[in-house]
Amino acid sequence: MIRTSLIAAVALSVVTGSAWAQTWTGGDDLPTNPLACDGTAAEAAAKPYDGGVPTNAPDRKGKEITVVDIPKLIGIGYFNATSKGIADAAKELGNVKVKTDGPTKANIDEQITFIDNYITSGVDGILFAANDPVAIAPVLKKALSKGINVVGYDANSTPDARQWFVNQAEFNGIAKSLVDNMAKEIGEDGAFAIVTSTFTTPNQARWIAEMAAYAEKCHPNMKWLETVEAQEDNVLSFNQATTLINKHGDELKGLFGMTSVATPASAEAVTQAGKCGEIAVVGLATPNAMKPYVEKDCVKSVVLWNPVDLGYAAMHVLRAVADGELKPGATSVKAGKLGELQVINGSEILLGAPFTFTKENIGGFDF
Amino acid sequence: MSRYLVRHESILAILLVLALIVLSLQSDRFFTVDNLLNQGRLMAEVGLIALAMTFVIVSAGIDLSVGSILGLVAILLGVFWQNVGLPLPLAMMLGVFVGGLAGLFNGFIITRFRVPPLIATLATLALYRGLAEGISQARSVRGYPEWFFVLGQGEVLGVPTQLWIFLACAVIAAIVLGISTFGRATYASGANAVAARFSGIPVDRTILLIYTASGLISGLAAIIFVSRVSTTRSDMGTGLELDVITAVVLGGTSIFGGRGTIIGTMLGLALMQALKNGLALAGVKGDGTIVVIGLILIATIIISNLLRRESDG
Repeated sequence: MIRTSLIAAVALSVVTGSAWAQTWTGGDDLPTNPLACDGTAAEAAAKPYDGGVPTNAPDRKGKEITVVDIPKLIGIGYFNATSKGIADAAKELGNVKVKTDGPTKANIDEQITFIDNYITSGVDGILFAANDPVAIAPVLKKALSKGINVVGYDANSTPDARQWFVNQAEFNGIAKSLVDNMAKEIGEDGAFAIVTSTFTTPNQARWIAEMAAYAEKCHPNMKWLETVEAQEDNVLSFNQATTLINKHGDELKGLFGMTSVATPASAEAVTQAGKCGEIAVVGLATPNAMKPYVEKDCVKSVVLWNPVDLGYAAMHVLRAVADGELKPGATSVKAGKLGELQVINGSEILLGAPFTFTKENIGGFDF
Repeated sequence: MSRYLVRHESILAILLVLALIVLSLQSDRFFTVDNLLNQGRLMAEVGLIALAMTFVIVSAGIDLSVGSILGLVAILLGVFWQNVGLPLPLAMMLGVFVGGLAGLFNGFIITRFRVPPLIATLATLALYRGLAEGISQARSVRGYPEWFFVLGQGEVLGVPTQLWIFLACAVIAAIVLGISTFGRATYASGANAVAARFSGIPVDRTILLIYTASGLISGLAAIIFVSRVSTTRSDMGTGLELDVITAVVLGGTSIFGGRGTIIGTMLGLALMQALKNGLALAGVKGDGTIVVIGLILIATIIISNLLRRESDG
């Protein structure tokens, strides 16, 4: 055991040591594009369609289609909300049979197996939120090769493995919103830590990279302490947040929760440590999970889009693709009650700007 | 003892046939060559490790670290190839070799320091996963050359490549466990280590070799896994050990050691995969499938225990 812990300690110090030299741990190494500090809108660059195309897809125009929705995992508030939106849209459309199924843990191999089985069972359309953009690509390409319409939402795959992706908010927009709110709460020279799912989860990694870039540009004196992994697991997130609070003591002024599980768990950790008001929690979460903390003034800002709308838009996009209404090169798509949504980045559809839930408005949301 | 083994395996075989019939009645897409071969592809990694795990459990041990070894080797494959710049075939061999070392280390702490296998491999489960996450520095390695995907996504003579590898390994494992001296030594060490020692059987060496093989084969599974999903991540294979152990135990290998066969493991594996796939195709959701597998595991073990008691009494 001594040997074991020695090796572990050495390994750990190697990791943390090298992490300091780089940007924030948990970010990816793709180029970043921080927004202007005052919120001037960025110029959208035109890009040709880079999504995939199903081979020999039958004519599905107006016909009833069977669709399966495979989120990263099932049984958590966030994906319950997206599948509610998907079901709502399917009901409204009237010609879609939809079912949500998926792994109970955010696990790539299980998700791949689920998709594989649904391809075999012969669905017309697949909606997915990827646990890993590259690992999921072969199975999605297989779906396309069988003539199945494939649309992603929430977490993207490599573009050529699906037709369209519904982007809930651009990464730099979320990053700006999170960092601005944190700066407002802990001041320009506060120190903070990040609780994320895993370092390679595509969304979280992208946000962290954009947050690092935006903070460097607009809030250069804020101090990043460390990023910890907590899967998307309640207990683990709580434990990781508690460890951060104990480890960094008074230096720690803020916690970012990067997932809808990590944020309420971090808020709970701060509450139980009796540090409400001393340690700010800013993060992505569903309003229902955050209501108790927001009402107690323990958390001031929760950043998110509306996941019900996200699922709703994804379903409408899939139907439009199946009907042949949304073709490569289109600049917008009609999504029921949401109106016209813009096409960005070649083959993505933008849901809208992120939303900050505060004590004043959170009561009006129920998901 | 041999009568019991035959019985457990017959029960399993009957159950498997029943399951296949019922499941193919539920969905006409289940019993097709395409789907069955595809399932073979999906279960190859778990299957490979289950072969080694059969030896481990027969020797009255357990290896919880296999999923972590898989993750570690996957990451090292990427690091050796992309960061160190080794040619990919060499990186693959080196990766499998490190898997073997990781297994050897397990065997070493178990035999030299007399740490119970459960504790030893629980510790290395955390250790190897930690190393994988540390070494990867949260970056995944992608962009492998096209030929590499033959292993995990390609076919040879119409059958998925990894299924050939799995079947070859299964035949070797069955021969080694069934008729070789090493196989006898494995049973003897598991049934009664003290008696085996006094009979002049090299118990420690046997156990050391078994854990090394378990590490090696986890490394091999890692290479296949990376090839199948075309990327490496440090969280690959998390929780895999539970699937592996379930298949082995379902296959009639006694968790107390001294009993178990490769054929049983193969049947257990096939039954588990058939249920997972068939139930999904029949429209049962993922959570329901896990419940059914749990129930079947309990039921088979109770039935074979009852039958064993009868034949003993």
